[in-house]
Amino acid sequence: MTEYLLHITIISGLYIILTLSLNLIIGYCGQVSLGHAAFYGLGAYTSALLTIHWQVPFFLALPTAAVIAALFGLGLGIPTLRLKDDYLAIVTLGFGVIVDLILLNLELTGGPDGLARIPPPRLAGIDFRNKVYYLLLVAAVVAFTLGLIYRLVHSCHGRALKAIRDHEITARVMGINASAYKISIFTLAAGLAGLAGSLYAHYITFINPESFGLHTSILVLTMVVLGGMGSILGSVVGAGVLTILPELFRRFADYQDVAYGAMLIALLIWRPQGLLGSGKISQKFSLSKNRAKKER
Amino acid sequence: MLLQQILNGLTAGSVYALIALGYTMIYGILGLINFAQGELYMAGAFATVLLLSIYQVNFFVAFLFGMGVAAVLGVILERLAFRPLRGSHPLVPLISAIGASIFLQSLALLLFGPADRSFPIQFEFAALEIAGVSVSALQVAIFGTALFFMALLVAFVKYTKFGKAIMATALDQDTARLMGINVDRMIALTFFIGSALSGAAGIMMAIYYNATYPRMGLLPGLKAFSAAVLGGVGNIPGAIVGGLLLGVAENLGAGYLSSGYKDAVAFAILIIVLLVRPKGLLGGRSH
Repeated sequence: MTEYLLHITIISGLYIILTLSLNLIIGYCGQVSLGHAAFYGLGAYTSALLTIHWQVPFFLALPTAAVIAALFGLGLGIPTLRLKDDYLAIVTLGFGVIVDLILLNLELTGGPDGLARIPPPRLAGIDFRNKVYYLLLVAAVVAFTLGLIYRLVHSCHGRALKAIRDHEITARVMGINASAYKISIFTLAAGLAGLAGSLYAHYITFINPESFGLHTSILVLTMVVLGGMGSILGSVVGAGVLTILPELFRRFADYQDVAYGAMLIALLIWRPQGLLGSGKISQKFSLSKNRAKKER
Repeated sequence: MLLQQILNGLTAGSVYALIALGYTMIYGILGLINFAQGELYMAGAFATVLLLSIYQVNFFVAFLFGMGVAAVLGVILERLAFRPLRGSHPLVPLISAIGASIFLQSLALLLFGPADRSFPIQFEFAALEIAGVSVSALQVAIFGTALFFMALLVAFVKYTKFGKAIMATALDQDTARLMGINVDRMIALTFFIGSALSGAAGIMMAIYYNATYPRMGLLPGLKAFSAAVLGGVGNIPGAIVGGLLLGVAENLGAGYLSSGYKDAVAFAILIIVLLVRPKGLLGGRSH
């Protein structure tokens, strides 16, 4: 039972990192990424391949995974985020499909069978196969992510981001380079997802493309919306709730995706600020819809 | 070989163009990417296949029924998932559309199961020889039907009162409202038409590949969106040109590069267009 509780806590920890990073994109860039699971997967595969094939120690593979995922984020962000429209959602959706295709077709990644026997981390005699130690490791990374995002959001850069999200044109007039900000945040978020992916791979020690598909991206998106777009604490709560609830309702596993879809719409209509959000994003513009559209 | 690939591409491309028209019209009028477009395509196919396998109805009746189901579903979607969110941050309806898409897809999975369904009617199509290339009459029929719907749409938008009202609403909602146009009704009508076209596309592809399954809309939806961007989002002729070009490019890519990555071609085109000419070949509406 303790093992089980530890397992749930570790998994929630991973989802907290993912949710926080996606919330950066949604809550602070005003964009949606539907390929977040792809970055998560890139991190997992990078880290697993490095440790299996090149015997790279875990604590080096972890940051490498983050960097690789971030680089992909940068490559994807540059063409899409320079533009005003919400192309990011569909481009990242396509990116998710492509990553899935590549993971399935490439020999290096083991195709649909994935990679097995990923070595668990080891450091100075501590065996991280013990779930307590692994939980501590995950907790450390969660704390790092929380600290990073908290500092970022409360710095002048965070204020710039909020300005961009709330009114991009005004922000630009104030001399804020909106596209550079958006691209950097997207890159950072992709890197954080890669971090979570690496932690996942070395915890489960077996990965295949199934864990990194659209389903996971939607799940993380639902966590963000449930917790509240733009709310850091909300992301933690949203990730926790949606990791624990499915465990309690195992019998209804088939209905999960239907429930997530319905939940997204229902939340946006009746409680757009989520559980803990301040409601900044969800505020209706006082301008008529047409004006708001033009000003985007 | 080359001509063969181009003809195959035109068949698939004409279907992408039909879905892309739905994207483009809805984008033009609401500034919203309707993520659920691919699911309406799936719904049209399922409605037709189910009707045909349960009742012995005429094929054309079933075809119209499938389009009707997709159209009504599109209108319901607009009413439930988009209208209450009008005027909020553009992110909000986008997420709602994603929710609607995943809801419909997984609902279909629950109701109909993951397996492929074959099309209940077997068509006997002769293989035609055109300029030394063998073309199945089915391909010609699909291409022809798609062109027919496109022509119908263009004529509707250009020459009817409702079509003009839709264009006016897309240009400026407030002014359109002042001119006595019922904006809500025009938006619903746009969803009705766009969804019906996607439904028709779904039915034709269900016949072409002889497979109907809950996730069938995901990739065509994505590709059609790429097609709409390629032609210029919000631009009706652009969607048609973009769809046809994309279909041809995809088949050439599959034929000459690697068939395993066929589905990646559309995505690569999308990225290139966004990098090089974000307003598309024919120029999108001023966004």
